Amino acid sequence: MSDADNKNMSHGSAGRARSKAMPALKTLAAEAGLLKGGDRRGFLKGLLAMTGAAATGQVGAAASQANLPPQVPSWTKSLGRGVVSKPYGMPSVYEKDVIRRTVPWLTAESISSISMSPLHELKGLITPNGLVFERYHAGVAEIDPEQHRLIIHGLVERPLIFTMAELQRFPSVSEIKFIECPANGGMEWKGPQMEGLQFTHGMLSCCEWTGVRLSTLLAEVGVKPEGKWLLAEGADGAAMARSIPMEKALDDTLVVYAQNGEALRPEQGYPVRLLNPGWEGNTSVKWLRRLEIGDQPWHMREETSKYTDLMADGRARKFTFVQECNSVITSPCPEKPWQNAGWYEIEGLAWSGRGTIKAVDISFDGGVNWVNAPLKGMVTSKSLTRFGYRFKWQGGALLLQSRSVDETGYVQPTLRQLREQRGVNSIYHKNAIHTWRVDADGSVRNVQIP
Amino acid sequence: MCRFLDSVAVKCVAGAMTLVAVMALAGCSEITTNGDTAQPAKSSANNVKHALFGLGETATPAQIAGWDIDVRPDGLGLPEGEGSVEDGEMLYEDKCASCHGTFGEGEGRWPKLAGGLGTLSQERPDKTVGSYWPYASTLWDYIRRAMPFPAPQSLSVDEVYAITAYALNLNDLVDDDFVLSRDNFSTIEMPNKDGFFVDDRPDVKNPRCLSDCLDPTTIKFVETIAGITPAAHIKEGGTDARAYSEGETEGEHAVTDSAGKALHDSACKICHGSGVAGAPVTGNSDDWRERIKQGKALIYQHALEGFQGDSGVMPAKGGQTHLDDAAVKAAVDYMLEKSR
Repeated sequence: MSDADNKNMSHGSAGRARSKAMPALKTLAAEAGLLKGGDRRGFLKGLLAMTGAAATGQVGAAASQANLPPQVPSWTKSLGRGVVSKPYGMPSVYEKDVIRRTVPWLTAESISSISMSPLHELKGLITPNGLVFERYHAGVAEIDPEQHRLIIHGLVERPLIFTMAELQRFPSVSEIKFIECPANGGMEWKGPQMEGLQFTHGMLSCCEWTGVRLSTLLAEVGVKPEGKWLLAEGADGAAMARSIPMEKALDDTLVVYAQNGEALRPEQGYPVRLLNPGWEGNTSVKWLRRLEIGDQPWHMREETSKYTDLMADGRARKFTFVQECNSVITSPCPEKPWQNAGWYEIEGLAWSGRGTIKAVDISFDGGVNWVNAPLKGMVTSKSLTRFGYRFKWQGGALLLQSRSVDETGYVQPTLRQLREQRGVNSIYHKNAIHTWRVDADGSVRNVQIP
Repeated sequence: MCRFLDSVAVKCVAGAMTLVAVMALAGCSEITTNGDTAQPAKSSANNVKHALFGLGETATPAQIAGWDIDVRPDGLGLPEGEGSVEDGEMLYEDKCASCHGTFGEGEGRWPKLAGGLGTLSQERPDKTVGSYWPYASTLWDYIRRAMPFPAPQSLSVDEVYAITAYALNLNDLVDDDFVLSRDNFSTIEMPNKDGFFVDDRPDVKNPRCLSDCLDPTTIKFVETIAGITPAAHIKEGGTDARAYSEGETEGEHAVTDSAGKALHDSACKICHGSGVAGAPVTGNSDDWRERIKQGKALIYQHALEGFQGDSGVMPAKGGQTHLDDAAVKAAVDYMLEKSR
C-alpha cells in the first residue's frame, strides 16, 4: 500500500468520542481503558457472561481489576480442561454473539426461510462452517450418507447411480468460491430498512469447497449431443430443483461433498450438493440426489414463480443466474462503529460472479470523489476479495461507499442506475453501491442516496 | 503403459522399496503406487461413447422412475391420471386452505395463489399462480414434489391433478366442471405465459468516474426505517445469542419456556396454528380439553411417537424425528399452557 493511498483525509469538524457502555458499567468502561471501542464492549459483555451478573446488571469494580496488570489473571493461576474434553471444538463463550441471524417477518415460518452470516465479525475470506448463511425450502434434510444416492440420467449414453463412496473416488478439486442468495439486499429496493450489515448483505458466504467436477461425471454418463440443459434436484422435503445450462455444467460447476476441510454441514446439503460458482445460490442445489439431462429447461417453481426479476413494465427476467460485481464496507458498519478520532483501517469485501475483482474504490462523500482501496490477500475468481484502506478519521461525518470493478470491466452500479433500469420490484440481484453514514460520534447508519 | 505389470503392481503398494525393485526389473518408468498409470481417455463430455473411470452402477429404469418426478411445460413427465375441480376443492380445503386461504388469498405470509391479474406493473404487484406463473406444468410439478408443506410427496397422482385443477379454477382459468388430465393438459394457457424474457444483463453501465462525479450540494440521503430490524445485539448490552449458548451446554439441554415457544413456532405451528390435518389448535381450549383430561404423559407419548386419531394424524415429533425429546416436550408444555 503506498503512502498516496493512505493519505490523511480530513472530513469536517472533530467529533467527541462516545462511550458505548451501559450507565451501570461506565466506571468499568473507564477502567477497561486498555480496550478500545468494540473490543471494550465485547470485554464487558464477556465479563457479564463470565460472572453471571447479567441478571442483576451489577459488577463489582474489583472484578474488573482482578485479571489486569499488575494482578495475575485467574487463568494463569489454574489449570484448564484437557484434550478431547470437547471432541469437536467450539468458539470461545465470549464469541457467543457471532451467530447467524434472521429477519422473522421475511417469511411465514423458519422452515422455508433464510438466515444471514455475521459479515461484520468475519476475518479474511473464509466463512466458518457454522456461520455460513442458511436457505431452506423445507428445512434441513438429515441424510444418512450410506442411504443417499446420486442418479444421473436422461439424454445420456448410460444412466448411472452413485454412492457417496463412489463419488469420492473421482479425482477431487478444492476451490474457494463465494455463494450468495440473489435476494441479498433485496429488502432495500424501495428504501433502506435494515439497521445492520448482517441484514443488508449477510446472505453471502465463502468457503473452500471440495468435490468432483460435474464435467467429470457427465463424461462418465456420456451426454448425448441433444443434451443442452440439466435439471439438478435435491433430496429435501421441497425436492428443490433448478435447470442449469449444459455450457455452465461443463465449465466450472462442481459436485461437492466438503467445505473448509470437513464434510458439508447438513445446513449446506450434506452429504453432497451442486456448486455453481458465481451464480445465484439457489442454483447450487443442496442434498443433491438427481441430475437429469434434457434438451430444454424445466421451468420449475424456483425459476418462474421465484428467482425471476420483475421489471417496472410488468415483464420479468428469467434465468438470471450470475451474481454481478458487488462490494460492501464491513468496517466500520452499524455493528462496528468507530469510537475516537484517529487511525482506522476501512475494510470491506468485494465479489463478482463473472470472475476476478480488479479494483475497489472508496468514497467518503457519497460518491463525489473516489480513491482506490488496495486489495488484500488472495484475489481469485468468484471468491470474496478483501480490501483495506488506512484512514485517519478526524471525527467528522462521512457518507462512506465502496465500488468494485471486475475483470470484465463491469463497474458496480449506483442504486439510481439500477432503479432506472429495473424499477423497485425485482427483489433479486440488487448489487448497488452501498452507503454508510458515519456520524461525528462514530456511530454508523444504513442510508441510501436515491 | 505398463498393463503387463498389473500382477506385480499389486506388490508396489506394499512399499516403495518393492516398487523400486519391480521397476528396475521391468525397466518401466511409468508405473506408480497408484496402480495402473493409464489416465482416463480424453473426450468431450458432450459426445462420450465409453465410461472413463468405470465408477457407479447402471441406474435401472425402476430406480429412475421412483425419483424422476419432474414435469416440463410441454407435458413431458406428466403421468397418466386425472382429477376434477370438484374433487380438488375438497382436497384443497382439507390440505391447502389453512395456509393458502379458502379462496387462494393466502393466510398471513403464506403464498397467495389467486387474483392479482394486471398488477405486475403496479406499485405493489401481486404475483400469483394466475397473474404471474407462465406454465401450468410448474403448478402440477410443484404440488407433487413439495406440497402440502408439512407432508411433501404424500399426494396421489389423481390428487395432484385435482388440486391443480382447483387452483386453476380459483384463477378462473377452467370451469367448475373441468376435469384435468394428461390428455387435456396442453390446452391450459396461463395469462402471463409471454411475460418472461431471458436474462439480458449487464443492463447498466456505470462509468468509473473518480472525481467531481456529482454536485455535492444535490446529495440527499434517506434514513433507515427504525425498529423493524432484529438488532437487539447491536443495542447496548443486548444479546440474542440464546441458541449459541445452548449449543455450548453439554449433556441435557436446559429447555426453557421460550425454547418451547420457539420450537412450536418453527415446527408445530404449521399444523397446530390452523388445525390442518385435524390438529388441535394452540390456544383453543375447546380443542384441547378432552386431550388434557387424558393426562400429559399420553400427550407426550403421542407427540414423540405419533398418533392416528379420528380427525387426523400426528406424525412422530411432527415428522422431525431429529428433534430432542426434551425439546418436543417443551413445545407440548407451551401448547398446553396456551390452551388451558
